[in-house]
Amino acid sequence: MTARAAPAPLPPATTVGLQGWLRQNLFSSRGNSVVTVVLAVVLAWFVFNLGSWVFVEADWTVIISRAPLYIVGLYPYEGYWRLCICLLLISVLLGMSWRAWPNAARRFAFGFGAVILFVGVFPHEMAPEHRALLLLNLPAIGLGYVLTPRPADASPGRLEAIAGGTLAPALERGAIFSTPRRMISAALVALVLTMILILGIAGVPGLDPVNPQDLGGLMINLLLAFFGIVCSLPIGVGLALGRRSSLPILKVACVIFIEVIRGVPLITLLFMSRHILPLTFPEDLNIDRVYLAGITITIFSSAYMAENVRGGMAAVHPGQAEAARALGLRDWQNTLLITLPQGLRNIIPAIVGQFISLFKDTSLVYFIGMLDLVEMGRVSVQGNQEFIDNGREVYLFIALVFWVFCFSMSFISRRIEGVLGVGRR
Amino acid sequence: MAETNGVHAAVDIPADKAEILARPLEERDDIVVCENVHKWFGDFCAVRDVSMRVKRGEVVVIFGPSGSGKSTFIRMINRLEEHQQGRIVIDGIEMTNDVRNLDAIRREVGMVFQQFNLFPHITVLGNITLAPQRVRHLPRSEAEALAMQLLERVGIPEQAGKYPAELSGGQQQRVAIARALAMQPQIMLFDEPTSALDPEMIKEVLDAMRELAATGMTMLCVTHEMGFAREVADRMAFFDEGALVELGPPDQIFNDPQEDRTKMFLDQIL
Ligand SMILES: Nc1ncnc2c1ncn2[C@@H]1O[C@H](COP(=O)(O)OP(=O)(O)OP(=O)(O)O)[C@@H](O)[C@H]1O
Ligand SMILES: [Mg+2]
Repeated sequence: MTARAAPAPLPPATTVGLQGWLRQNLFSSRGNSVVTVVLAVVLAWFVFNLGSWVFVEADWTVIISRAPLYIVGLYPYEGYWRLCICLLLISVLLGMSWRAWPNAARRFAFGFGAVILFVGVFPHEMAPEHRALLLLNLPAIGLGYVLTPRPADASPGRLEAIAGGTLAPALERGAIFSTPRRMISAALVALVLTMILILGIAGVPGLDPVNPQDLGGLMINLLLAFFGIVCSLPIGVGLALGRRSSLPILKVACVIFIEVIRGVPLITLLFMSRHILPLTFPEDLNIDRVYLAGITITIFSSAYMAENVRGGMAAVHPGQAEAARALGLRDWQNTLLITLPQGLRNIIPAIVGQFISLFKDTSLVYFIGMLDLVEMGRVSVQGNQEFIDNGREVYLFIALVFWVFCFSMSFISRRIEGVLGVGRR
Repeated sequence: MAETNGVHAAVDIPADKAEILARPLEERDDIVVCENVHKWFGDFCAVRDVSMRVKRGEVVVIFGPSGSGKSTFIRMINRLEEHQQGRIVIDGIEMTNDVRNLDAIRREVGMVFQQFNLFPHITVLGNITLAPQRVRHLPRSEAEALAMQLLERVGIPEQAGKYPAELSGGQQQRVAIARALAMQPQIMLFDEPTSALDPEMIKEVLDAMRELAATGMTMLCVTHEMGFAREVADRMAFFDEGALVELGPPDQIFNDPQEDRTKMFLDQIL
């Protein structure tokens, strides 16, 4: 009975390890070897040239000397500390997400921390108190992490351990549901505080109101995209439910709204919001262009959101609705409790994708005279004789900033998809 | 398998049920009455002229070839499909378009599907407590106590906190049974509850159904588990081409089928 199976034969050395990988992927035939070598040479040449330009020839003064303009626009200097505190709030939320959904948020938290550290220690002009507030983000992430209870649904093993006795259900429910709920309330509080800090309140010392027109730079791109997505979600859900409804008038109204908005470029909507809509306002109603832009972007985004939501709900298996009906749930209960939650969950990656494209689209607000990141770059170059030759530096920087944000978003989105896979059929 | 222990535990039957069960079938009242029921999909007649009466506490197994209208028939009993001609009365409630009647019938009738159809975004416990809380308006603590009792009964109380996707097929189907029972129905419908399961899981689901039958639940089961039918069914109904061809006790169906079509079908599958 002790006869042991012969050890499994090892694969040939040429198919494993670095050597095997190289052989299989780059040098599998003579033709492939030639292509590999040629591409490697071209790539090296390209990287070398770009690198020597970036590190030797390029003059980054145009960015470094004006850094705050790209980040926050004309926001008053006295208020910078308020923005720093907003960032701290975001860091706490990030730390909480890290704890609650480690698989989705951990690496992002690391990346965010690295960027903060880099900007915080980079030897450029910055008031020491702002530098200190910036570096405080690192402990803030840790604080958020520590404040959050460890989720139970992270590992099935732990779940089993909790669910031992009959007390299990109560414990389970607490562990699974308390985390997101706490997250949602924390996020709402942070959102309100952020808005108060950014815009200020008249009469409160230290919180002098800021003219909304002074909001600019990357901050305005992020704010518009964020509020666009957050506000368009409920509107989009409403439109999608309307489109699915059996009331013909409601249905037609929603279809018309969605198709009209989706059929028009954002830039024309912005134009109309600035130049045509005000004609219909009462004389004394003067809505700031920042809010007009926000409303327009929200409306634009809602139409796409509605279609996403509808698609997500349509993808829910029809058996779900049958089970709900068989249990005696009404149609509206089925929609709200069964179909909509599953539909929304189906479209989380699509929502992130929409956020990415909306974030890029917000650069169109230059069209109604706002100084977003891209427009600020253009003004820096064309408005200053000394930087007239630095267009390349500016646009490379802007592209890098957009890329970093969009890449992080799609990275998170893929992580979330992985995490959501757990609870699904 | 340790986790199926609960299934065979002695079942306590409520006094009113016990009293009914004590009576022979023919002295009990009809809980399901179908008279000349028809159903068309477009021009296609999926169920034609079916009349059937089911006694309280009776177990009827429905079988027949694919496409013979078995699913369509039992789905008409809780109005997942609408019958277009004839009459259906469930525990004295006439099946009409009246929403109140419909609500009352849905409370009377529970259903278990071939594909389980558990709600994947909520836990096992949430699946079972959802309808009792939302439809019967039980307080959460009561709904949860009931759910744990039912999970105990189908032998998987330790799975309460998991999500459906974390369970095996057999466990999922047992959760689906518990979910339907949580509405405390008078009648349970099963549409091929074991067809989507691997062989080793079929037994645990059939055991749960056996136990349920022993408590005096009225059951209509579409299934081709003939061993189960022989053992548990009071009567068997053979469907073919939308019609109820033969209805009789298992003894008659297996040993002395009255219709050629029944005999031919049984010869094929046995
Ligand atoms: N929604 C529908 N629309 C059109 N035809 C349908 C629909 N549902 C069922 N049918 C048809 O009605 C007939 C009966 O279907 P049913 O599902 O009741 O059969 P079944 O006996 O349950 O078969 P199976 O054993 O394959 O489940 C089939 O021919 C089927 O194609
Ligand atoms: Mg069927």
